[in-house]
Amino acid sequence: MSASHEQNRFVLLASIDEVADRGVLLGETVARLLEFVVPAFADVATLDTISHEGVFRRVGSRVEGPGREELEKGLLRRRPIPEGPVGLPAALATGESQLVERVTDEHLRAIAADEADFQLLRALELRSVLDVPLLARGRIVGALACGVGTSGRDYGPEDLRFAEVLSARLALALDNAGLSAALSGLEQRLEITLTNLAEAVIVRDAAGSMVFANPAAARLLGLTSVEEITTAAPGALMALYDVFDEEGRRLSLTDLPSMLAVRGERPGPLLVNNIIRATGEQRWLLHKATPVFDASGALSMVISVIEDLTEVKRAERAQRLLAEAGQALSASLDYHQSLQRMAELAVSGLADRCQVLMRGGNGELEEVAVAGAKVAAEPRAGETDEVHGDELAVAAEVVQSDEARLAGRVIVVPLALVGQPPIGALFLGMTESGRTFDKGDLSLARELGRRAAIAVENARLYAERSMIASTLQRSLLPPELPEIRGFRLAGLYVAAGEQNEVGGDFYDAFEVQGGWMVVVGDVAGRGAEAAALTSLSRYTLRTAGKLLGDPVATLEQLNAALRERPGLSLVSVCCAVLRETGGDATADVVLAGHPPAFHVRAGNPEPVGLFAPFLGAYASGEWTPVTVHLGPGDQLVLYTDGVIDTVGEEERFGEERLVATLHGASGATDAVARIEAAVRDFARGTQADDIAVIAVERLLARR
Amino acid sequence: MRRAGHLNLRLRRIGDASVVSARGDIDLSTVAQAAEAMDAARADRGPVFLDLREVGFMDTSGLRLIIEEQQRAAAHGYRFAVFPGSPKVQRLFEIAGLAGDEGLFADPSTLPAAGEGD
Repeated sequence: MSASHEQNRFVLLASIDEVADRGVLLGETVARLLEFVVPAFADVATLDTISHEGVFRRVGSRVEGPGREELEKGLLRRRPIPEGPVGLPAALATGESQLVERVTDEHLRAIAADEADFQLLRALELRSVLDVPLLARGRIVGALACGVGTSGRDYGPEDLRFAEVLSARLALALDNAGLSAALSGLEQRLEITLTNLAEAVIVRDAAGSMVFANPAAARLLGLTSVEEITTAAPGALMALYDVFDEEGRRLSLTDLPSMLAVRGERPGPLLVNNIIRATGEQRWLLHKATPVFDASGALSMVISVIEDLTEVKRAERAQRLLAEAGQALSASLDYHQSLQRMAELAVSGLADRCQVLMRGGNGELEEVAVAGAKVAAEPRAGETDEVHGDELAVAAEVVQSDEARLAGRVIVVPLALVGQPPIGALFLGMTESGRTFDKGDLSLARELGRRAAIAVENARLYAERSMIASTLQRSLLPPELPEIRGFRLAGLYVAAGEQNEVGGDFYDAFEVQGGWMVVVGDVAGRGAEAAALTSLSRYTLRTAGKLLGDPVATLEQLNAALRERPGLSLVSVCCAVLRETGGDATADVVLAGHPPAFHVRAGNPEPVGLFAPFLGAYASGEWTPVTVHLGPGDQLVLYTDGVIDTVGEEERFGEERLVATLHGASGATDAVARIEAAVRDFARGTQADDIAVIAVERLLARR
Repeated sequence: MRRAGHLNLRLRRIGDASVVSARGDIDLSTVAQAAEAMDAARADRGPVFLDLREVGFMDTSGLRLIIEEQQRAAAHGYRFAVFPGSPKVQRLFEIAGLAGDEGLFADPSTLPAAGEGD
């Protein structure tokens, strides 16, 4: 045997070892093994495996020379007959190598299954054959059959020994391949498991390339197939998204846990706000990455699991937004301010831009609150540019139809109470973030719209109430005291406390049959209720006074009116009817639950009036007029108890102080001015009660 | 400094009677407190007395409370009366035409132990 022949055989063994070490798939291993055997050592070769269960399987065949393809196919289909006396059956049966140095037709017939098999074997033109069992880990794992003929070679005992060495290597290679086949079975099962896993899984190799992804990952990332992930160029996938952390900071690929793991770190989970650029679809994704190391401690791969927390995050955000908006909306009765705050909250959690539009006095929609920039963004294909289009027109449609609208980057919901026509619209837009809205956003927006409507309605009701109250109050004060021939009038009204707390004091002066009625009154209670009662009192007195002319009859009318009201409606009144007959002026003064009037004559105040019950307290009462004569320069001063109840440093103002104040009063205007100054100087702290004063001065008769 | 809005109230049961003793001012800012005390006093359906002897000031809101209580008592058949207060307080009853309403006023000494004040 030549040196080169030896050399070739070493190369052959080394090649087989190399294949064995690779441990790739079985079919591939066999094909490559047979390539080394034929033609270097044989003209024909077949390889068989026997499984643990004893199942015989021909895994490869190779033939050198003309017609090889047909012959290879034929050999691959062949099954050795079990009881063959020589060759492969004998090798498998005994576990010992078989050498047939000179192959004869008889020989072939003995191992052929039938005539066709015999013809196939003959066509190989075999001269010598070798059949070697493959032993690995103590059992026959297969067999190698080699034949020579067409090349003119023969096999001898030396070749048999080489074949045995060769077969040991082949057995090892096959065994490895079998193990790796089992392993790849495991991989397959793992892949099947991952494929059906709800969680998104992406595997990166040590270089950071994405080598595996399951369908859940593709779905989560808005892709149609996993191949889009595994075939993507580095960084290309990331370009499809805008990725932010929870604080809204933009993240890049290298910030993701999987890439940190590739760099050898052991990153914690990271929650990211993932927006698909093409569609604006937003998801909250929790990225978790685990590095996997091989036996030598080197990084072999990084497994990332991506969890979709969108629902959880949205629910949390919705809850927070609604809670904060609820607070903002109830914080102030100034709904413009409340809506503005709500808009700002919406911009921090739900949208890039929030606008509240409401029907104004003329029924047209007006912007009442806005937050977020109106940054132009390119409309996507098939998307109308409603964000930057005519917001008013869109909002008007929504208000008109009372139907919410969700269109890509725009949500418009009506501001409406249940069962009520909308009062406006809430307009949400996405601009610079590029996000689109979904149904979750829509239901959140609806709820926000409903709450805003409630807040506005409450504020409006309150505003209406305080407007009614102040309107009433204004209407209760005569804008100007009338000119009464022969008299001069002066009045003072000071409302107490907060602007919305309308008090119940009033004064009035109007013409009645045969004279003028001058009246001050005080209604118990405050606010809108008191204002209504004041209004009722004042207009009943006016109407009854004009019709009846008599002060007592007038008060009885009011008493009856008050008794008709539910509950106890108490009104105190000091009423004076001024008459002038032939230069002589009189005043009929009637009190009802009221302190006395003062008649100031020559600077001396004298109380006037008979005490009698409040109006509204009893079904009937003894209201009795007291008549005083008013000489030239005389004054009659009517006032409410706000004057004498005024709180001072040590005590209340009181009747005595009022008498002292009026002492020396020179006229109606002077009397009122004195009271105003005295009360102001005396008062400490906030004024608790209303003050109403009216003074009548008898002028010098001019004939 | 003396201001409106200081009112102390005490509720005592003397026999089947309830006595609300007021000390301070009964005005717009304190009348709700007084009304609460009256509600509590009324619970047992026995006679109810409002002791005004320590009241420094009362305005028409106090008077309104008293008139309401008086009418409620008439409607529900229990006795209600006040222990008269200072001349300033009594002046208010006078102005309201109630000074002559004998049923409205009671002499504290007619109630055992109630006459001792507090």
